[in-house]
Amino acid sequence: MAKIVVVTSGKGGVGKTTTSAAFASGLALRGYRTVVIDFDVGLRNLDLIMGCERRVVYDLVNVIQGEAKLQQALIRDKRCESLYVLPTSQTRDKDALTTEGVTAIMDELRKEFDYIVCDSPAGIESGALMALYHADEAIVVTNPEVSSVRDSDRILGILAARSRRAEQGEEPVKEHLLLTRYSPKRVEGGEMLSLEDVKELLHTPLLGVIPESEVILQASNQGIPAVHMDHSDVAEAYKDMVARFLGEERPLRFVQPVKVGFFKRLFGG
Amino acid sequence: MANPPASSAETGAPLRLSGGVFTLSILHLESADPRQLAQRITEERQRHPAAADFHRHAPIVLDLSAIPEEAPLALAEILQVLRAADWFPVGLRNAAPRHQALAQEQHLPILRGQERGIAPHSQPEASPVLAPIAQGSLLIDHPIRGGQRSYARGGDLICLAAVNAGAEIMADGNIHVYGPLRGRALAGVNGQEEARIFCANLEAELVSVAGLYRTLETNHPLWGQAAQIYSRDEQLHIIPLNL
Repeated sequence: MAKIVVVTSGKGGVGKTTTSAAFASGLALRGYRTVVIDFDVGLRNLDLIMGCERRVVYDLVNVIQGEAKLQQALIRDKRCESLYVLPTSQTRDKDALTTEGVTAIMDELRKEFDYIVCDSPAGIESGALMALYHADEAIVVTNPEVSSVRDSDRILGILAARSRRAEQGEEPVKEHLLLTRYSPKRVEGGEMLSLEDVKELLHTPLLGVIPESEVILQASNQGIPAVHMDHSDVAEAYKDMVARFLGEERPLRFVQPVKVGFFKRLFGG
Repeated sequence: MANPPASSAETGAPLRLSGGVFTLSILHLESADPRQLAQRITEERQRHPAAADFHRHAPIVLDLSAIPEEAPLALAEILQVLRAADWFPVGLRNAAPRHQALAQEQHLPILRGQERGIAPHSQPEASPVLAPIAQGSLLIDHPIRGGQRSYARGGDLICLAAVNAGAEIMADGNIHVYGPLRGRALAGVNGQEEARIFCANLEAELVSVAGLYRTLETNHPLWGQAAQIYSRDEQLHIIPLNL
């Protein structure tokens, strides 16, 4: 049975799309048939991060409005055989999504895929509600700062009240916390909330910690999901996170400041 | 031009607008027929003259939850009947959208709280309830998150987990919070002045008992500690919870 996973946060710019791309790619690398859907109608970033923006012909809104078949809108990823991207429209607005239309698409995708990853827009309006409505599990992306934690708390409440599972009285959506842009050095300096602070504030099981890194910027500019940035902290952290999601045990990495050696400090890195 | 009397307008002081909490009587309208209402009021007053006396000149809120949306509502006549009965109608609640428009014509405000049969979408996100303990009491065993509201109508609210910033918990009775209390807690919301708030870790944004309220800053002497909050002589007291 296919699992629907929403990547959400409430706040913008915390790394939802980066995470959606890396997570979906990570699942596909493990051999799962995966599709990642961009719900951010009107802004359309996922296809850029996935490096398939020039192959977008039809999109989510076309399918919902019956102008294209689902198969026509799905784009196969160029790196992973079993990964597909369902891009969104840049010319429509969020009201183009209808509950019935999204439900129909989910039902059809469920037959074909193991995992359906929904990249939610920021905010708590209709687009975000559509993205989380069908979710079986949720990855709440949070930055180690107060406003991001506050918004994540809000979206966790909405997940518990407004998802399909909540409305139909089923088992609640399984929640995961992903801490992104984590800089152990800045935590040590008191500029950022620590991992423990965030865990204490949100009471949500931790799926992983993604370190703050320039590699993310390089990856998104080149249209490469971060999990493919070999030999980088970020790729390793995303692989750990996927492994934990699949039920494997992995120790937390990249949460301690890097010790700079005496010579390196003396002569520069 | 004659000199106007010295006023605060001259001194440039802003208008004084402040908040207040009032207890108002609510009249549940049984039918949309004004004549029937008049008759019911007369009957009732003959039966309980003392109560009638007590309610004379009372401000009153009209609850329309029993009036179906499509029913024609002669609001102007109904208001006349109420005024003739020495009541002062001050607002409507639970009015259907069509009736809300009528209220506007009569310059009557729509009061909030307890909404009428609404689509599940427009509801505030209610927290799932674990189990009722006593009548009206509410036991919650999971964090109450920002934006969520929980209300123990007619009883105590007991929360075994955190009440996060931006969340609001309310009870007609007492409130007990065993996780950190970071949101707002309002006890005795229907006017019960003996209600208290007990918490293991006071970091609340606002605490209130029977309409008396105060906000808290991080420099409060009991910040982060076990505390109880109660009202006495129109004053809110926050004291350590020494057990």
